[in-house]
Amino acid sequence: MITLNNVLFKWHKQQAKPTLSIQTLKIADGEHVFLHGPSGSGKSTLLSLLAGINIADSGSIKLLNTNLTALSNRKRDVFRSDHIGYIFQNFNLLPYLSPLENVMLGCQFSKNRQRKALQQSASLEQEATRLLNALGLTNEHHQQSVADLSIGQQQRVAAARAFIGSPELIIADEPTSALDANNRTAFIELLFAQANIAGSTLVFVSHDTSLQSLFNRTISLTALTEQAA
Amino acid sequence: MILIKLAYKSLLNRRGSAFLTLFTIAISVMLLLSIERVRVDAKSSFSNTISGTDLIVGARTGDIQLLLSSVFRIGHANNGVSWQSYQYIKQQRGVAWTIPLSLGDSHKGQAVLGTTLDYFTHYKYGKKQPLNFSQGAAFSHLNEVVIGSEIANKLNYQLGDKVVISHGMGNTSFHHHDDNPFTVVGILKATGTPVDKTLHIPLAAIELIHGGGHSAESEHDHDHDHDHDHDHDHDHDHDQHEDLTGEPKQITAFLMGFDSPLYTLQVRRNINQYKPEALLAIMPGVTLRELWEMLSIVEKILLLFSSIVVLVSLLGMLTTLLASLNQRRRELAILRSVGARPWHLFSLISIESLLITLLGCLLGCGLFYTLMSVTAGLLQSHGGISVTINMLSHYELMLIGAIMAAGFIVGLIPATRAYFYSLADGMSIKI
Repeated sequence: MITLNNVLFKWHKQQAKPTLSIQTLKIADGEHVFLHGPSGSGKSTLLSLLAGINIADSGSIKLLNTNLTALSNRKRDVFRSDHIGYIFQNFNLLPYLSPLENVMLGCQFSKNRQRKALQQSASLEQEATRLLNALGLTNEHHQQSVADLSIGQQQRVAAARAFIGSPELIIADEPTSALDANNRTAFIELLFAQANIAGSTLVFVSHDTSLQSLFNRTISLTALTEQAA
Repeated sequence: MILIKLAYKSLLNRRGSAFLTLFTIAISVMLLLSIERVRVDAKSSFSNTISGTDLIVGARTGDIQLLLSSVFRIGHANNGVSWQSYQYIKQQRGVAWTIPLSLGDSHKGQAVLGTTLDYFTHYKYGKKQPLNFSQGAAFSHLNEVVIGSEIANKLNYQLGDKVVISHGMGNTSFHHHDDNPFTVVGILKATGTPVDKTLHIPLAAIELIHGGGHSAESEHDHDHDHDHDHDHDHDHDHDQHEDLTGEPKQITAFLMGFDSPLYTLQVRRNINQYKPEALLAIMPGVTLRELWEMLSIVEKILLLFSSIVVLVSLLGMLTTLLASLNQRRRELAILRSVGARPWHLFSLISIESLLITLLGCLLGCGLFYTLMSVTAGLLQSHGGISVTINMLSHYELMLIGAIMAAGFIVGLIPATRAYFYSLADGMSIKI
């Protein structure tokens, strides 16, 4: 699913030490990976490389056997919208769209994901409704303003947006940092369930190591970087 | 489609600032359209002040001066046309009708015109529309007056009211012909021309109020040469045929109509070369156009000002969009995370500016029609401009098209900035 080889990345060329240096990293299809590391260890940098927003200065990053570093900007954008669902730490829902519209937005820019969503349900709206219900957000909340939803409810909307159209890779960037322990576990279990249904690989990033037991694989970014050094 | 929906919902989310921007554009569109409409209608009203008249003849002055004094009652002719010359020219071949005009007196600052009944038959305005009476009829006696609609409204005159004519123009005349009050017998329908502001009395009455045989004579210390001895008694029963024309020594000017337009140029040339008296014959249509050309600088200045207002409103939109863009980097980053490409964001901002401009133009058109409906009466009564409230003209649509295009071009600036923000920020939320 994901293969990184000799990846080196610097935010500024004159930096003496690279921001990220990974010799090898492989993540298999369907894995639920917990990626942790302290603040400043390069977690967000790694995610931006995996999402194809930034390009490694050297080395290769392959997703679904596609070398991201070899793709043009436009093709990387298309690849991202077709194959990657992203859950932000602060959920980042658009405040002027309803929860349902926010979820549908996840596949509006990808024909590939629209097609997959329509294989699941008769319409995008039905698929968004199905996902929201599956993630525990009942119908009464689907049309209300996202600003009126609780943190937990917003998180479910953000997750449903990432899952719509069954992307092969779900990247979750510390999505549980605002939740208490019970809700955190419940939410992660919901994520796993949806990832299993969609057949998606889940890369979950957090600095909270107490969560690692829930995942079938844990990767320490610090260890990866030291290994490269 | 999704971009239009996003642009619309995003604007709705920022409706406060968006509406202010939109309203500014609407006001500027309303101003531009109103100025343009009033300009066109003023021109049309101006050109339509007189129609169907082939020549205006007066003492030799300037074309425009003659037009202004005889048709617009602005200024006054220094000289007149002798009655003999008028009679001679009137009898030329091809002359269908003539209307003698005698100006110089006033009533409460409004012009008094001495003329004949031909005035009510042959005088045309607009698209060759004749004068019509809203009440009463033309004068049939020497002491009767027909007033324009504006005089009736402004001075609140009704049929049967008595009117005293003053010598000279303006409100401050010291010579009132108090002994010759005129009775209002007719009120003309509104024409949107100087006719509305004119009191029409028989030509003979002009001579009469300045002439001998009256008690008024002693009150007149101005030096009129009255060789026309008029024996007139107001208490006398006028049911018998009364000469409303008389034989004045001179008249201010006269209007001419011909059987065929072919006579116009020939008679005009003859009049301009008339030996016994220095006369001038003008074609009103041509002189009206010349006069409007002189005023064209005013319309250009008006258009310039309204264009500047449009420009300022578009710059206002640019400022609002640019100011909001920095706050919207999170929104742009979210859209990038769900697969929007930089050109999607470029299009989104362009669509937003286009939507604001479009809605601004639509609201502006609505405001324009409201303003025109509300002020049409006022423009007619105060400016003599008959405003037509109909569909937008081709030119007005072109103006709106130009505003839309300008709005789109202005919108490209924040759109380009959004494009580069999206490249620099990617999916990371910078704010």
